[in-house]
Amino acid sequence: MDKEAAKLLGAGLAMGIGALGPGLGLGLMIGKALESIARQPEVSGDVRTNMFIGIGVTEAVALYAFVVALILIFVA
Amino acid sequence: MKRKTWVWLFVVASLVLWGLLLLVPGGKKQEIQIAKEFEPEVLVKLPTVGPFDLSITKAVAYLLVALGVIVVLSFVINRTLKTHPGRFQYAVEAIYDLTRSGIVDSVMKSGAETWFPYIGSVFVFVLVSNLIGLIPLPFGEHHQPSFYAATANLYCTAGLALCTFVFTHAAGMRKNGVVHYFGNWAPPSAPPVLKQLIWVIHAVSEIFRLVSLSVRLFANMLAGHAILAVFFAMALIFQSYAAAVLLQGGSVLIYLFEIFVAFIQAFIFAILSAVYIGGALDQEH
Repeated sequence: MDKEAAKLLGAGLAMGIGALGPGLGLGLMIGKALESIARQPEVSGDVRTNMFIGIGVTEAVALYAFVVALILIFVA
Repeated sequence: MKRKTWVWLFVVASLVLWGLLLLVPGGKKQEIQIAKEFEPEVLVKLPTVGPFDLSITKAVAYLLVALGVIVVLSFVINRTLKTHPGRFQYAVEAIYDLTRSGIVDSVMKSGAETWFPYIGSVFVFVLVSNLIGLIPLPFGEHHQPSFYAATANLYCTAGLALCTFVFTHAAGMRKNGVVHYFGNWAPPSAPPVLKQLIWVIHAVSEIFRLVSLSVRLFANMLAGHAILAVFFAMALIFQSYAAAVLLQGGSVLIYLFEIFVAFIQAFIFAILSAVYIGGALDQEH
């Protein structure tokens, strides 16, 4: 395989597989948060704050994959 | 005619127009380098002092614009304070209330008074520079309008994250004492060998907080601008006016989503800073 082709293929795979886990995690977390808000609307403020913290931490994993893909395309 | 008929007529007419566009041949082929949009090119060449290159690049220009906007807005709001707020003052008060009760008071147990100014100004700075990144400014090649943001540059976000990192440990050491603070990184009740392992794991996680805090903001802003650039560039790559119309519509939706992302990222950066500083002040173990 050509080196250029391997780089592009690797970048695509890194982003695609790297987005799988955080996507599942975000879906599960936001679903649970909405469930608990629906069950107990009076704690919605607290649940929302903690949900955003969780979103920030989970989303970072997908962004590491994005950075790796960028490095593969432009730097490697 | 009824209103419904008009709507259907409009839909059919636009579909026919779009179909006609498919027949129009596209413009001439053009090479596009999306990566070049994000290179911080030098605008004003200044001398190098020691290890520091003082040249004003695109990123520095965006930083200065954000600084100017914040300073002017602060002066205006300070001079025109009223007891019966207008729309502008109401918006600024909403931001103050969000940072005060939504972020600092809901996350930090102690030290809210001391650390509110830092958290609030980080929030405002990140929000303003994210939003300025969505306005095309003439800092591109040959002074063409282009999208860029100060926070789409890793050095800027790493600097902000380094501030939070230093303040976290300085606050923790000042309140708990140096030995006590570092000793509390592992729970005192753990068995000795396990305790050292936990301490090392905690130390590594502290470093990774710094990395994730800076890379999250940087990659979010860069990814948003890259998607917009790809949408604009695809119209040229496909060489078809029909595709261009669809892609421009799509880029409007992405743009609206980016406004939401700009706000959410500022919120997450500020709230995580508050969580880290609060965690160092009130250690759990």
